[in-house]
Amino acid sequence: MSVKYRLAITKGEAVRYVSHLDYMRSIERAVRRTKLPAAYSEGFNPHMKIAFASALSVGVASEAEYMDIELTGDVDPAAMGEALASQLPPGIAVGRFRQIPATGYPALMAVVNLAAYRIRLPLPAGTAGDAIEAIGRFNAAAVVTYIKENPKGKKEIDVKTYVREVAATPVADGLELAVEVRITPTGSIKPTEVIKVLVEKFGLPADPDTALVTRTGLFVADGNSRISPLDI
Amino acid sequence: MITIPPAVLSRVAKPARYTGHEHNSVVKDPAGVDAAFALAFPDVYEVGMSHLGLKILYHIINRRPDAAAERVYAPWPDMEAEMRAAGIPLHTLESFRPVGEFDVVGFTLQYELSYTNILNMLDLAGIPLKSADRGEGHPLIIAGGPCAFNAEPLADFIDFFVLGESEEAVDDVAAAVADWKKAGKPGGRRGFLARAAAIPGVYVPAFYDAAYNADGTLAAVTANHPAAPPVVTKRVVADLEQVAYPTKPVLPFLEIIHDRIMLELFRGCTRGCRFCQAGVLYRPVRERKPETLLRLAQELVDNTGYSEISLTSLSSADYSCLKDIVGRLIDQFKDQGVSVSLPSLRIDSFSIELAQEVQKVRKSGLTFAPEAGTQRLRDVINKGVTEKDLEEAVGAAFRAGWSGVKLYFMIGLPTETDDDIKGIAALARRVTDIYREVKGKRGAKVSVSVSSFVPKPHTPFQWYGQNDMAELERKQQLLKTLFKDRSVSFSWHDAHVSFLEAVFARGDRRLGEVLLAAWRQGAKFDGWSEYFKFALWQEAFREAGVDPHFYAGRERTADEVLPWDHLSAGVDKAFLEREYRQALDAAPTADCRRGDCSVCGVCQGLGVDIIDWGASS
Ligand code: SF4
Repeated sequence: MSVKYRLAITKGEAVRYVSHLDYMRSIERAVRRTKLPAAYSEGFNPHMKIAFASALSVGVASEAEYMDIELTGDVDPAAMGEALASQLPPGIAVGRFRQIPATGYPALMAVVNLAAYRIRLPLPAGTAGDAIEAIGRFNAAAVVTYIKENPKGKKEIDVKTYVREVAATPVADGLELAVEVRITPTGSIKPTEVIKVLVEKFGLPADPDTALVTRTGLFVADGNSRISPLDI
Repeated sequence: MITIPPAVLSRVAKPARYTGHEHNSVVKDPAGVDAAFALAFPDVYEVGMSHLGLKILYHIINRRPDAAAERVYAPWPDMEAEMRAAGIPLHTLESFRPVGEFDVVGFTLQYELSYTNILNMLDLAGIPLKSADRGEGHPLIIAGGPCAFNAEPLADFIDFFVLGESEEAVDDVAAAVADWKKAGKPGGRRGFLARAAAIPGVYVPAFYDAAYNADGTLAAVTANHPAAPPVVTKRVVADLEQVAYPTKPVLPFLEIIHDRIMLELFRGCTRGCRFCQAGVLYRPVRERKPETLLRLAQELVDNTGYSEISLTSLSSADYSCLKDIVGRLIDQFKDQGVSVSLPSLRIDSFSIELAQEVQKVRKSGLTFAPEAGTQRLRDVINKGVTEKDLEEAVGAAFRAGWSGVKLYFMIGLPTETDDDIKGIAALARRVTDIYREVKGKRGAKVSVSVSSFVPKPHTPFQWYGQNDMAELERKQQLLKTLFKDRSVSFSWHDAHVSFLEAVFARGDRRLGEVLLAAWRQGAKFDGWSEYFKFALWQEAFREAGVDPHFYAGRERTADEVLPWDHLSAGVDKAFLEREYRQALDAAPTADCRRGDCSVCGVCQGLGVDIIDWGASS
């Protein structure tokens, strides 16, 4: 009998610079340490049946990740939460979780279509005004073309398909930005790429390497409604 | 505490190498301990984290309430550049304190080509490179590992070396540091070194003077301090059952080289291959009990969550209860999703049977090391394997479903002729033929890897003059012409690298200046082909006025004083000489663990015995 759970988890400061693959492997090992009856795939290289919503880049932390895990037997949910909490490495914590149907339930990957980020962006002294103006120009633009580069090649995209606007609040040493990014079946854009666009095309006076990005939410969005993948 | 700016971490490759917080890492309050050790590995994180010896030291030191051990690895050059630009000193991954603030910095010496990384790490830590230039506020710089058995090229830089197995020695060193500090550091650094020199296995190079003959050979290395013994003898653990094993290893986030549980079945090897330094340094054979191994394996699985157990030893197939332990491990762990792997296999069909057993859980490649291409040369090196053994093993492997094997060889061995080189190609061809005989078709994937022989201290071949680079390259080219068949892929090691290894393996104190010169010109990560620059080393030898061929290519006479004669692995020099003569006669010496003792001196001199559970049951 197989049982599935969906859990909200974090990727905190301690594991900010861990890659997505390494983050997943660390969770797998932690689950193995708990001795929970995890389900494995068949074959020579069996892997644990866990699934995530969308990959986080190296350097990006998150307050709201989700993972589905399949177990081969019934476990007491409270005991499962405790077991995981005791074995997960620093920075990875379990939040809310609930049992989901073992079959026929939409996969995280398929339903999550919006990610929210908070970006701390240090600025050179006295440039906050220029920065806000640059962001204003981005928000006002109808189309922003950008050449996305990845190992597979180059692709021209319109940034505005994914990010309508960037909200900026001045803080002590720079700005705090809030960005919502659409995730579509054909692609998305990384928050670090949004910063690059702001710097390169709109003259934002910042060094993109210094941006500290944290994902604050992953949602199933429809029009103006945003619900957590735990509540669908 | 050092914090690395996000901008730095976002610019370097694999930043998780530098951010710590790994599961099972031990973070102690530095104020609460008397002896703080920074355990340094002079290579990148993924290599250093894979090393069992460091895991053992980390565990043993941290077990002591009065001591702490933290880890530090060589930053990759991209990170080094960032650290230098931002003024970030070398620091540990636990408390993120500068390495310069520790009581002791301990380096593991696995490979001669990591020496420049040691200098680079000391420099990054802001610690004077030469022992003589360090003051009372600086850490004690110590080193251990196989290369410590010829410590001389590093004599200027390391305050003291620990020879041999460290499980018990490191406790002695930690206690000595704590006592000395609590006593108010009487005598300062020199006072401590005098205390250290009294610990068995500890070598303080500053307490010895080297004198040379007119022809440049060593005249003598003599003690100049009352605490320094004339010969320093290695430490050995009499019974592995009695020492702690690291069952809570630090679990990396990054994928490291050996990213699995390492279960050490036994230590030592008595087969007596005459080129093998480890075979001498880790004598005699001492096995762990199968029950102990099962218990350790369970603890390791529970504490790590790893899905693979690798059985490690110099030659795991020689473990006397191997079939028993493999079967029991598979039984115990198959429902936990944990597989078992055997990394080093001897050439025989018994191994294939076992490999098949292990296969049930996980597919892995097969590797054989005949080392030489002809029976004559295999007799010279005392590799007790015949062509028939190889044929049977490979045949069994192909019948069991494998389609590829990897074969390891060496060129430049004593007495080698071109016929022996041709024998390598012939043996590889024989393997492809066997595949055709077994399968009735072509298509075996045979890869042949050829390294160049490096004569190592404390081995029967320590006197042998290495083939010069032109000769090694000629032999590589000859082999290349013999491997026209595409079914065999052929790779070889850079002769320049092997040459430099030989220089430092058999070097003396005069090489310290060469190391400094090479490091100043930017040598680092010499073991990585993308960073190895031979021209820079040639310049360093010129600058220091040192002829490298004097060390690598010169056949040494039996009466020559060797730079490591005052450092003993417990094996008699007379035994090594006898073995060298036997080699030149292609006369074999039997494995001493079941047959006759060949009186190498280890068991007699160190008061230890072979421990072999299969033989005793
Ligand atoms: S003393 Fe004898 S039994 Fe002991 S390791 Fe040497 S040869 Fe083997």
